[in-house]
Amino acid sequence: MSDSGSPGAATAGARLDSFSYDDVVVRKFLWATIIWGLVGFLMGLIVAIQMAFPAFNLAPWFAFGRLRPLHTNAVIFAFAGNAIFTGLYYSTQRLLKARMFSDTLSKVHFWGWQAIIVSAALTLPFGFTQAKEYAELEWPIDIAIAIVWVIFAVNVIGTLVRRRERHIYVAIWFYIASIITVAILHIFNNLVIPAGPLKSYSIYAGVQDAFMQWWYGHNAVAFFLTTPFLGLMYYFMPKAAEGPVFSYRLSIVHFWTLVFMYIWAGPHHLHYTALPEWASTLGMLFSVMLWAPSWGGMINGLLTLRGAWHKVIDDPVLKFMVVAITGYGMATFEGPMLSVKSVNALAHYTDWIVAHVHTGALSWNGFLTFGMIYWLAPRLFQAPLFSKKLAEAHFWIASFGIILYVVAIYSAGVTQGLMWRAFDETGRLAYPDFVETVARLVPMYWVRVAGGSLYIVGAILFAYNIFRTWKARPVTYEVPVVKAPPLARVSAPPAHAPAPVPAGAWARFVSLGWHRKWEGLPITFTVLTTVAVVVASLFEIIPTFLIKSNVPTIASVKPLTPLELAGRDLYIREGCFNCHSQMVRPFRYETERYGDYSKPGESVYEHPFLWGSRRIGPDLAREGGKYPDLWHVRHFENPRAISPKSIMPAYRHLLTNEMDFDGIQARVDAMVMLGVPYGEAVTGAPAMARRQAAEVAASIVQGGGESGFESKEIVAMIAYMQRLGRDAQQVVLGTNAAKHVHVDSVAPARAPAAPGGSR
Amino acid sequence: MSLTELMSNAGLSRYAEVALLLFFFAFVIIVWRVFSPSRKQLLERQARLPLDDDHASPSRPSAE
Ligand code: HEC
Repeated sequence: MSDSGSPGAATAGARLDSFSYDDVVVRKFLWATIIWGLVGFLMGLIVAIQMAFPAFNLAPWFAFGRLRPLHTNAVIFAFAGNAIFTGLYYSTQRLLKARMFSDTLSKVHFWGWQAIIVSAALTLPFGFTQAKEYAELEWPIDIAIAIVWVIFAVNVIGTLVRRRERHIYVAIWFYIASIITVAILHIFNNLVIPAGPLKSYSIYAGVQDAFMQWWYGHNAVAFFLTTPFLGLMYYFMPKAAEGPVFSYRLSIVHFWTLVFMYIWAGPHHLHYTALPEWASTLGMLFSVMLWAPSWGGMINGLLTLRGAWHKVIDDPVLKFMVVAITGYGMATFEGPMLSVKSVNALAHYTDWIVAHVHTGALSWNGFLTFGMIYWLAPRLFQAPLFSKKLAEAHFWIASFGIILYVVAIYSAGVTQGLMWRAFDETGRLAYPDFVETVARLVPMYWVRVAGGSLYIVGAILFAYNIFRTWKARPVTYEVPVVKAPPLARVSAPPAHAPAPVPAGAWARFVSLGWHRKWEGLPITFTVLTTVAVVVASLFEIIPTFLIKSNVPTIASVKPLTPLELAGRDLYIREGCFNCHSQMVRPFRYETERYGDYSKPGESVYEHPFLWGSRRIGPDLAREGGKYPDLWHVRHFENPRAISPKSIMPAYRHLLTNEMDFDGIQARVDAMVMLGVPYGEAVTGAPAMARRQAAEVAASIVQGGGESGFESKEIVAMIAYMQRLGRDAQQVVLGTNAAKHVHVDSVAPARAPAAPGGSR
Repeated sequence: MSLTELMSNAGLSRYAEVALLLFFFAFVIIVWRVFSPSRKQLLERQARLPLDDDHASPSRPSAE
């Protein structure tokens, strides 16, 4: 059935179009949401177990570093993504009184998106990654994402153009802003130079790459996990509560504040890193301002239930939604708080951030999705929900799971943060051995495993409930025919329009009613939203790229040798950056532990940057020269042989895998294209790498280790480890290098040359 | 490169603050418009849009 073909049925004088909604695609997205949700949660459980019980890193492809990105991608893009599409396709058609623009585009969107998810599952565990959080997928998949997203955008905007309802409800504004912004974010953060079919280097380096990444990363949270879900909230909450939203005005203000402010907030992920001070201050300011609209939105959502609170008692749909909206409020209260620098100093790199994310993800995204699907299933499958009791059980089990999860992980975060910064009476680090701060957390990691398991049990009940509902569907679905008048070309004058034409040019201009048209014209609206987002992004990003003094160069920083570059690629392949940061912040407790703090100029050749965001293991920015080569061999072979309480996976395969020396040239070439001055290596990279590999192998033998490693991957990894931080150690702190640090009390006057004593 | 130099010497340190003010004013204008009394009726109608489509689904199964 297509609305374009069906003749308008004339009833009682007014011409009415007859059409139907495409619920087939909505049902497809609904199933995809449920299936990928289960997969994504299960991946989460697996990585949670790996953190508590490292022997569960069963194979190179089944190790924490490689599976953690699979978990995040699965829950964000597969579960939340399909949930957004489910609700969006359902509500957009109904709000606009039009079938989707094209059934074919809907189908291509659906299957294209699922194919992308499958390709993620087939590449991430095997180490194909760009090493940027939530943008891990390699360049061919990124291109596919861009294409599918454009198809989706065309489908939605086409529907808007063909709509039969003049006014565009606020939920749709949220959808459009999300679609546009995600497209922009995705494209600009994924600009890379390919170095092979599934290998690439970011065109940005160091500080700039970090800036782009967190501009993307933060806004992915904003425009993938927040604004589309707010759109869903503004549609499904009134539906479930059977009354309009509490204040429509507030929802409009909510929308514009988010569009205007979110995009600025990204740099708060990089406080006290080598990012320029002004940028992170701006990020903090906007993040704090975000508190107001977010809470406005939460209150608006909850008060939609005014006079209907009694319904919550026996309606699981409303229960899920109320907790979801409360979760939104908690997460958006905490977010601005975490962006305040002093709080951030404690929370950054710890599990606190993980807890923050899961407050948002498990309750806001998860529960809103569950609530929405419990509401949709009976309507889409045209049969009553199989069991309300089961849905209630799901609610309570999952809620309890969330509480276990977040309580445990908040405690873990605060505990570890405090342990890192603790000094004893003699002024030395109270826990100089990093692994002590890890071992303390393991019991809490087990509690998380329990909490996550409960959440999954709930999700299984949910899937079963929906499955049984589907089983009871009619033989053929009834496809209701909807009648609505087509949109008049010119908007009819509103009933309360002022009759007399006011005098004066300004007054006439105002009375033109341009603003109503402005809102009614989806294209214009889309353009304006895009402009707001792009302008904010440019204001934020350009200075980092174009103002030289923001990244002072350090003369002694040279590109990695070919072998070290290959080692760095192994570091990326194994996902070490998921556990190790390479960014020492300018605090005494960090410089005591790791060495001199990191400078922007140190990472000018870092395509992509590898600063990391979580320290499950110690920072590695100053790792070079800390241990002999043989130590690393033994440590990679079995971390627990060296450090019994370590939770790092073993990397035995590095000791046996053959090193692909000839493949190094393509990588060096790609780096050269990016402007990294490689000199001699431009032609002879493999030979140079072999020479250095022989040296490393010889030093292992010298230290008393086995021979024969010169052809194995381990030598590249060790060469890279031993290079980390070496360039900067030769620097006498110049004025430039110290400039960005304004944190007076924390910057050490002199950093220890060789950070020792951590073991 | 020359663009970099140009930007570096353009004295753009106030750049971000100016942008902030621009955005702030745009935002104030929007809020002012949203709360102007003349729009009350229109917005109330719009608020009911999600509830309007109910007649479109003749089969109205409930979750109970
Ligand atoms: C699950 C998280 C995790 C992953 C993944 C991980 N590590 Fe570790 N790593 C740790 C922990 C915890 C320690 C501290 C205990 C120890 O020394 O084993 C550590 C310690 C280290 C150390 C010793 C640091 C020091 O100064 O004492 C090095 C070097 C290291 N890891 C390198 C790597 C490399 C390279 C990879 C990727 C191949 C990697 N790690 C992957 C958690 C991890």
